[in-house]
Amino acid sequence: MKKLVNDILNKTKAMGVTFADVRFTSTDQETVYFEKGSLKHFGRAMDSEAIGVKVLIDGCWGFAGTDILNMTEIDKTIKLAVNNAKTGAKFRAQKIKYTPSKAVQASYIFQPEEDPFLLDDQIKLNFLENVAKKLTTDPRIVYSYAYASFYRQYKVYANTEGTFVDTIVYDVLPSMYVLASNGKETMSRTFPGHMNGRRGGFEVVRRLEMEKNTAIIMEEAIQLLDAPRIEEEKADIIIGGGHLALQLHESVGHATEADRIFGKEISYAGKTFIKPAMLGKFQYGSPIVNIYSDSTDKRGMGYHPVDDEGIPARRCDIIKDGILVDQQTSREIAPLLKLEPSSNMMASFADDIPLIRMTNFCLAPGKGSLKDLIADTEHGYLVDHTKTWSIDDNRNNFQFTTEIGWKIENGKINGIVKEPTYFGITPEFWNACDRICGPEEWEMHGTFHCGKGEPGQTMHLSHGVAPARFRNIVVNVKA
Amino acid sequence: MILKFKEKLVKICEEFTDIKFEFHLKKWHTDFLRFYQSQTNYNISKSSLSLSTTIRKGKRSYGFSLDNPTEEALREKINEVEKFIDDLPEDPDYVDMEANCEKTAEIPKQDNRLVVDLEKKIEILEQLSEAVASLNYKIYGTFICNYNDTYIVNSNGVDKHEMNSPIALEVKAVNQETEVTVLETFGGENFKSFDLPDFRDSLVRKAEAGNNEIVDLEPGKYPVVLAPRCIAEYFMYLMSSVSARSLDSKMSFFEGKLDEQVFPKNITITDDPQHPDMMKYDYTSSGHPYKKMKIIEKGVFRNFIVSNYYAHKLKMKETGSEASALVMDTGDKKLSEMIAGIKKGIYISSLHYMNFINAKETSLTGLTRDGTFLIEDGKITKVINNLRFTEKISRIIENITEIEDKAVTIPFSQNYGHFGIDSYRMPHVTVNNFNITSTTGTI
Repeated sequence: MKKLVNDILNKTKAMGVTFADVRFTSTDQETVYFEKGSLKHFGRAMDSEAIGVKVLIDGCWGFAGTDILNMTEIDKTIKLAVNNAKTGAKFRAQKIKYTPSKAVQASYIFQPEEDPFLLDDQIKLNFLENVAKKLTTDPRIVYSYAYASFYRQYKVYANTEGTFVDTIVYDVLPSMYVLASNGKETMSRTFPGHMNGRRGGFEVVRRLEMEKNTAIIMEEAIQLLDAPRIEEEKADIIIGGGHLALQLHESVGHATEADRIFGKEISYAGKTFIKPAMLGKFQYGSPIVNIYSDSTDKRGMGYHPVDDEGIPARRCDIIKDGILVDQQTSREIAPLLKLEPSSNMMASFADDIPLIRMTNFCLAPGKGSLKDLIADTEHGYLVDHTKTWSIDDNRNNFQFTTEIGWKIENGKINGIVKEPTYFGITPEFWNACDRICGPEEWEMHGTFHCGKGEPGQTMHLSHGVAPARFRNIVVNVKA
Repeated sequence: MILKFKEKLVKICEEFTDIKFEFHLKKWHTDFLRFYQSQTNYNISKSSLSLSTTIRKGKRSYGFSLDNPTEEALREKINEVEKFIDDLPEDPDYVDMEANCEKTAEIPKQDNRLVVDLEKKIEILEQLSEAVASLNYKIYGTFICNYNDTYIVNSNGVDKHEMNSPIALEVKAVNQETEVTVLETFGGENFKSFDLPDFRDSLVRKAEAGNNEIVDLEPGKYPVVLAPRCIAEYFMYLMSSVSARSLDSKMSFFEGKLDEQVFPKNITITDDPQHPDMMKYDYTSSGHPYKKMKIIEKGVFRNFIVSNYYAHKLKMKETGSEASALVMDTGDKKLSEMIAGIKKGIYISSLHYMNFINAKETSLTGLTRDGTFLIEDGKITKVINNLRFTEKISRIIENITEIEDKAVTIPFSQNYGHFGIDSYRMPHVTVNNFNITSTTGTI
């Protein structure tokens, strides 16, 4: 593969490129899916190979990718990338300036404790079938599923600066869901929640204790049918880790992708309320809020030796003591903001163009346990397990609904509420954060499904968070 | 080459008697120009050749896919699967795969990547860019031409071929000072129907309206005029309740409502995959002929979308529909009359980031985008900062009071999973008591 990648690079050099890089990916994916206790899908897509060629010519990017890996098609792909840049340059007023970077040679292999692709099929099938069948044992649960998806990707990245890096990573996505009905209404519960992606192998599935949690989510879904809704206009809320990961993702992660500042994502994903002048000054959150992007953390799915444009992995403070100090950037965007590239350019597969993406985007822990935080709350709600999420074009106005909320009275849980829905404006909300739990509650959550770009890409990425409290939040939005 | 490989798939189906196959062989290309600030963002060309295979033995099944497939690799996989398929748990609901072998007449289509090449795209974008420049707008968006060539083959004798080549142009003009954004789109497979002067003039008119004063609007219930792409999106979301799968998973709003009056009599929605102004489809994903079907007729819910699998499972009739080409019947009002009839209300151009709160109840939240305008005394007077709504789709449709006398085709790119383009054809509608729950304070 090294020879093929270098041959492609040499061909691009002969075509007058300012810069070029070549990526190769070979991806294995497997899914086991049980619905209402029966196996509905078991399948694999193995050795799914792709090549992508990105070139900078005349101050314009050109990209082409293919999964048809023969020399005729590869040569065609190189020519298409070059033609896309040259022709695209005719409709390009500002020539792209590109920050050079040092050459990196590295290799990284993540070794799971239990490789899901080597594990006997029957072990995986039996494990999930057992979980799935338990979800069907109460007639009030009218629909249920349990599944796990396994992913392994071998990637080679090389560029005309002399960087050559190859990696192998493993990710896993386990989930189960129940829907309870009383004939009039339906209520759902999932486990482990919306942000259920993790780096690792089958050991991740085992550690979740899905079987033990089947009874809990079934009972909660049934109880939710008769649970009240939140009635007061505003309340203090504690957001559990699984859902807070999504809150962080939507209202800080995407908002601080700097390609949005320059309108490069207006046509699909949207813009951001952040302007360049806010950097170093803007009070994004309260002084206890510290948020960073860290592609050096091997626990998360966002780890890499270099990103998909050859920038070495970095940890960057994005919000420090509540102040917006940096952005997630690329080599092209960073100099426009007088920043260093943050190592956030990623693509899902080699035949996708890299975009500014979250890697491991985390909220730093504070102090204390969740139990302490609940005890410290006179009146409010603990909300967790995402049901609905929506945020505006500028990542400013958001509204989330979780599957379940727990009412807190005088520092104690006192019953549940259904579909708690809260609304906020991003900076007001993060400035209302007055406590974040400590390292003992901090955990990496993650997703396989962060959508961005056109043609669309879905990215694997992680969020480290601990539960946190937000004061005086609007909680009674209803349809 | 792809045709020769397809013939090998037919032979493999004939060769094996104890196992059954379902093959989807797909060749796919896209030429994709993304632009921003009235210049190229990036150009992408992608191509793929993939084979998706499902093997069934009795009630057991296993699926796999191969990129750039060869007969040797396929046979190797089949041999592997034969060794373990008997050990898999059965699906008690499974009966048989698609058996409808009826073929539709193949209409020759052109590869629109060649009709609208990169040079042509840039020529068009330069004209649009120039047209809005004097109003202090720049253009952002996408210009896509796809080419799909798909064969569906199975052991029941299904041997179908479908080719399509959709075009989608989405242009957002953004005011460089206020960030007010307006949107114009074109979609279809016939580029001859693209009228550049008309497209340009419409974009300019919207940009001019976008240069009015910007105001905030208090939350509350307002009469709104929804642009065609907005009502199209609501129906797109509602279609999740029309699938037999949603019926099976107890998530359908339409459960128990077949042949009942669920909406006003002026609402008729047809899935029409052969409509001349839309993206066209001959077959569903299982290879069943994809035919025109009424979903809502004069407010009466007429049909669920029933695939081969759910036809067997739920003992319903397979419908051969996928709700990928929805058409709403037009009404009798001019858009100008619809706006003129509103004392204080909102014109909504486009929607953003909708998500169900409760799909069975059709409750959801989302935002306006790309041009939200205040209507005062029958006229569009100001630009409104984007708004959040929290509504029920069922209530929105119940509250439709007026429907425009013409419809337009709106392309939607399916951006998750495999990239594709669908289109809906819808008119403007007036909706009363539309529930605005907050303002974003931003454009």
